[in-house]
Amino acid sequence: MKLAQKLLLIDRRIIFLVVFIGAIIPIIRPIGLAVDVSRPVRNVFERVEQIESGDALMISFDYGPSDGPELDPMANAIMRHCVKRGVRVIGLSLFPLGGVDMAIGRMLELERDLQVENGVDYVNLGYKDGGQAAMKAMGENIAAVFPTDSRGVPVDELPAMQNVRNYNNVRMAISLATSVLGEWWINLVNAQFGVDVAIGTTAVSAPKYYAFMEAKQAIGVIGGMKGASEYEELVARAYPDLADLSRTATMGMDVQSIVHLVIIFFILFGNVIFILTRRSGKEAK
Amino acid sequence: MELQLPGIGEWVAAFFTIAIFSFLYRDNIVYRFAESVFAGVSFGYYVGLAKINTLDPNLFRPLFGDFSANWPLVIPFALGLMLYLRYIPKVAWVANWSLAVYIGYYIGVNLIQRIHGEIIPQAKGTMLPLNVAFGQVLGNLVIIVGVLAVLIYFFFSSPHRGPLKPTARLGIYYLMISFGASFGYTVMGRVSLLIGRLTFIVNDWARPLIESVTG
Repeated sequence: MKLAQKLLLIDRRIIFLVVFIGAIIPIIRPIGLAVDVSRPVRNVFERVEQIESGDALMISFDYGPSDGPELDPMANAIMRHCVKRGVRVIGLSLFPLGGVDMAIGRMLELERDLQVENGVDYVNLGYKDGGQAAMKAMGENIAAVFPTDSRGVPVDELPAMQNVRNYNNVRMAISLATSVLGEWWINLVNAQFGVDVAIGTTAVSAPKYYAFMEAKQAIGVIGGMKGASEYEELVARAYPDLADLSRTATMGMDVQSIVHLVIIFFILFGNVIFILTRRSGKEAK
Repeated sequence: MELQLPGIGEWVAAFFTIAIFSFLYRDNIVYRFAESVFAGVSFGYYVGLAKINTLDPNLFRPLFGDFSANWPLVIPFALGLMLYLRYIPKVAWVANWSLAVYIGYYIGVNLIQRIHGEIIPQAKGTMLPLNVAFGQVLGNLVIIVGVLAVLIYFFFSSPHRGPLKPTARLGIYYLMISFGASFGYTVMGRVSLLIGRLTFIVNDWARPLIESVTG
């Protein structure tokens, strides 16, 4: 049992090293594991499919750089989906620490991949302070909250904003949220203005949003990198010409699977050793 | 094929990523430097962002551009400035007026928002039919029993004795399952962050660097 006791006291840095090796190998040599699609993600995809060409969809970039690995792929997949369907994307951000730059980054990538035009096919309204106050005011008049886009062009002059005055002219809102902002889109914008809301969120925040979906307050939930990979898969299946574009969440799921196996192994290993040492301790008494 | 070294942005990002990861070995001065830089940059970024995206287009330009049409903006402007009187002890009490307006507004907004947008729809979401297909009945029962059991667990006005005791215990099991699911999701989220940084280090910094060095 001395060996077991030694193993219980294993240096945590060895575990970090094993996790690091488990993560780095699939990044260098991707495996290409299959992706199954769950109902909450399919709900969002199918709702976007129902939006007619020329209509507007609002995406709120309510996250910062630290959540980029999970939420950037969602933004990419949803915006590519909208472009293929001819749906105008109205981007904005209510999250202070980096939201507007995440939106700019995603939209530049969209321009590069699908040759869309800023202000015509999509618009980036930029960032605004005041979360709930901004959401509520947009129910009256979006231009009062965002007089210009992120480049300083008045919204009245933007073709992408033609006939879009408030939520009545938006078919759906998707909040890519890392904080409480996603809840506000549901309990304020959906509840008070009747806008269909879907949430794309980090894995840490995902469980609470399923309750909103079950209560039919949210159309669907895209949870973490897994949810993002599912949306990428749905877009690639429906629009094969987009399948060759980068699918970072799908690639990331290879790493997730390997690292999860490593973590499960260490949890089982730690518990078995713990039980063995406890049993031997009782026998010694 | 033309090979390119990583740009200055990639070098800076790679340095700070590795500096933060160095904490996994042990606390060190490079980690603390990176942490301090991050805190400072975040604050500076936020101040600049608020000025460019909110104060300029929503306050300064309308107010100083067309005062007669936008004079009501003087009120929120004054309330905002009054908050800073907190730093002058003799008139610090004036800041409380701004806080009172701020708190009053958000209590009003939140009260309606929570009741209308959460409590009522969530309660409605647990009032599920039991005269449906067998599979659905099972699902609905799991939700109804779970909500009642957890509510009873958090009911502290009488001791958990008699029938309340097993029901409260069932509530604990529901909570444990919920915590387990949340923990699993949390692990997935944290691993995603690791994937993001490692993907950057490998694909955007190390790979171009190695390829340009080895030709």
